[in-house]
Amino acid sequence: MMPFKSIYYSERFLKIIFGFSLFMVLVMGGIAYKHIRQLSRSTADVQHNYEVHLELEKLLSALKDAESGKRGFIISRDSTFLEPLLLSSLELDKNMEHLKFLTKDNPEQQKNIAELKAKIVKSLDIFKKTLDLAATDNLNSPEFIAGFREGRQTMNSVRFKIIEMTTHESDVLGTSKEKSSKNISNTPMLLYYVLILSLLILLLTYLQNSKNLKVLKEKNELLETFKKSTTQSEIISKHGNWIWHIEENTFEYSDNLYRLLGEEPQSFEANLANYMDFVHPDDVDKLTEQVNKMMENEDLPFIHYRIIQKNGSIKHFKAYGKLLIDSDGHKKILGTTADITDEIENYRLIEKRNLELERSNKELSSFNYVASHDLQEPLRKIQTFLSRLEEKEQDHLSNNGKVYIERIKSSSTRMRSLIDDLLQFSRTNRSEEALEDSNINILLETAKHDLVEIISDKRARISSDFIPSMKVIPFQIKQLFLNLMSNSLKYSRELTAPVITITYSQTKASDLPKIKYSKHNLYHTITVKDNGIGFDQDYAEKIFILFNRLHNKNEYSGTGIGLSICKKIVENHNGYITAEGDINNGSIFTIYLPLS
Amino acid sequence: MKYKMEKPKLHLLLADDDIDDCDFFKEATDEISDACNLSIVHNGVELMNFLSSENADLPNLIFLDLNMPRKSGMECLAEIKSSDQLSQIPIIIYSTSLDHTVVSELYQMGALHYIQKPAEFSSIKTVIEKALLLFNANVTPTCSREHFIIQP
Repeated sequence: MMPFKSIYYSERFLKIIFGFSLFMVLVMGGIAYKHIRQLSRSTADVQHNYEVHLELEKLLSALKDAESGKRGFIISRDSTFLEPLLLSSLELDKNMEHLKFLTKDNPEQQKNIAELKAKIVKSLDIFKKTLDLAATDNLNSPEFIAGFREGRQTMNSVRFKIIEMTTHESDVLGTSKEKSSKNISNTPMLLYYVLILSLLILLLTYLQNSKNLKVLKEKNELLETFKKSTTQSEIISKHGNWIWHIEENTFEYSDNLYRLLGEEPQSFEANLANYMDFVHPDDVDKLTEQVNKMMENEDLPFIHYRIIQKNGSIKHFKAYGKLLIDSDGHKKILGTTADITDEIENYRLIEKRNLELERSNKELSSFNYVASHDLQEPLRKIQTFLSRLEEKEQDHLSNNGKVYIERIKSSSTRMRSLIDDLLQFSRTNRSEEALEDSNINILLETAKHDLVEIISDKRARISSDFIPSMKVIPFQIKQLFLNLMSNSLKYSRELTAPVITITYSQTKASDLPKIKYSKHNLYHTITVKDNGIGFDQDYAEKIFILFNRLHNKNEYSGTGIGLSICKKIVENHNGYITAEGDINNGSIFTIYLPLS
Repeated sequence: MKYKMEKPKLHLLLADDDIDDCDFFKEATDEISDACNLSIVHNGVELMNFLSSENADLPNLIFLDLNMPRKSGMECLAEIKSSDQLSQIPIIIYSTSLDHTVVSELYQMGALHYIQKPAEFSSIKTVIEKALLLFNANVTPTCSREHFIIQP
């Protein structure tokens, strides 16, 4: 994410740089324009100055011509000398006008021109006067001499004025030239600095751009990798992705979505109508409704529907979509469609097997019932008839007959206890009874009560700790104590009064032997310890297996079911039972029940 | 047990489809005392007919087997307990099996006692004697759950 952010920031940076560069170029252009304007203006100034000079020169020269013409006429009396005078008076007017026009921006010059004009007019008047005098041959008259002198003076003052004007014009040119030349001499330097600055900015931009490009390249490669792994995961997990651009209402389908539909990637245009063609007719309405909702709510919850591929096979699809708003503010829904056909088929298979299991369980339990209940009945009758036979026909029986009857009796008793225990085992189920808070001490006492005869026969001593109440199936726990205690009593040592010690403690799950995973942290621990014949520790596991016996039937009257029932009961309570045996020293049975 | 002659004979009714068990029961009651009058029916339908016939000699005590053809003992119990005339007759269940849940259910339904058919003939006699004793002791026959099952 970070590099993308930096690109985002650098985009802003670039924008700023670009704006700045644009500004710089504009400034440079402006400065150049201004300076060129200035240059051209100063050129015009020089031109103008030159023209004014020229005009003044012309003026002066016309006056000079007139003067020299006048002198020529006076000396030679040849009137041809007067021609330039006549011409020059016309010329002078023209020159004056031109000068006036040229210097119309300069009030001082205008003033000078006005003065000059007055002087010229005066000088022309004096010309006329002297000429008139000359024409009447009054050359020696004092008037003529005065006129002539005055003419010279006026002429000098005109010349002086013209020089003054020329100087003024030169001064104006000089100052503007000085000003512009200062500006113009700064221009290359400024342009150079701006250029250097621009180049620096350009370099900076280039560096930033190349950095961004590198990041983009890396990101592109990463994206490419992601794309490949997405494609791969799409194929493996059998799902396809799609994007719905909400504003443009256009769709994009991933290649695998096409494959899920049984089509070649991008083989048809990605739109809703084309997709709907594949949807199972029974699911079209459902899906359309959901899609309409999606368009309204801009969200798509998990939906399940079927499609039919062109080859006719039906697939189960599950789809989900989520709204995404990208950095440009465009809304799109990113969707995932998964082919869950295998899941559904597996689920159906499991369901089918569950049903089969349930059926066979039912059969088994009814078999159990029949086996134990219906077998019990004829057996019981055999026993009843035997007791009748013993009672009533005792006297008619031979000794052999009596022995046979005894044998039949013991066999039927054994069969009876087998059937009873089997029935007990098959009835020890979890589902039958609910757990209830029970006083375990009372259950233990009830179990003891059931064994009261054998306890007194064997002079057994049974001691027990106080056990806290637990949530259990009461009759099963009573049965558990009953079986364990009768086990201890049954396998007691000859000539030794049985001593059974029942203790209570609590054990942490981590300290429990053989248990790796446990939902519970703490376990009630009840141990039943006796001083009986014990057993070889190698058989510690085996004794809990149904019909497993360590002793011959003739020695001990066990059915091999009692401890299996114990195990089943403890497991019904999510507990564990372990056994420790020490031959001729006794055995310890430990029950662990979860402390909820 | 000895019953005084002036006392009317106790009318017992046994409903059991098993001929052998009926014979054992009859022999047992005969041996216990002659103060009992035993009627026997062999299935649930027969039992209900016996009880609902017009001039029926209603029994003092019914021993009811559970597993019977046509109408089971449990169905009969429900029917009897829902009838105004018959609901007062105490019923003792007399069955081969001893299923914890079934026993509890029967107790809830209003059976007075439960006897698991013993194997020894002498035990049959003992349980019937005990049942009669309990019945005589209780003028209004009710029973707590822990004394529900009669052991031989």
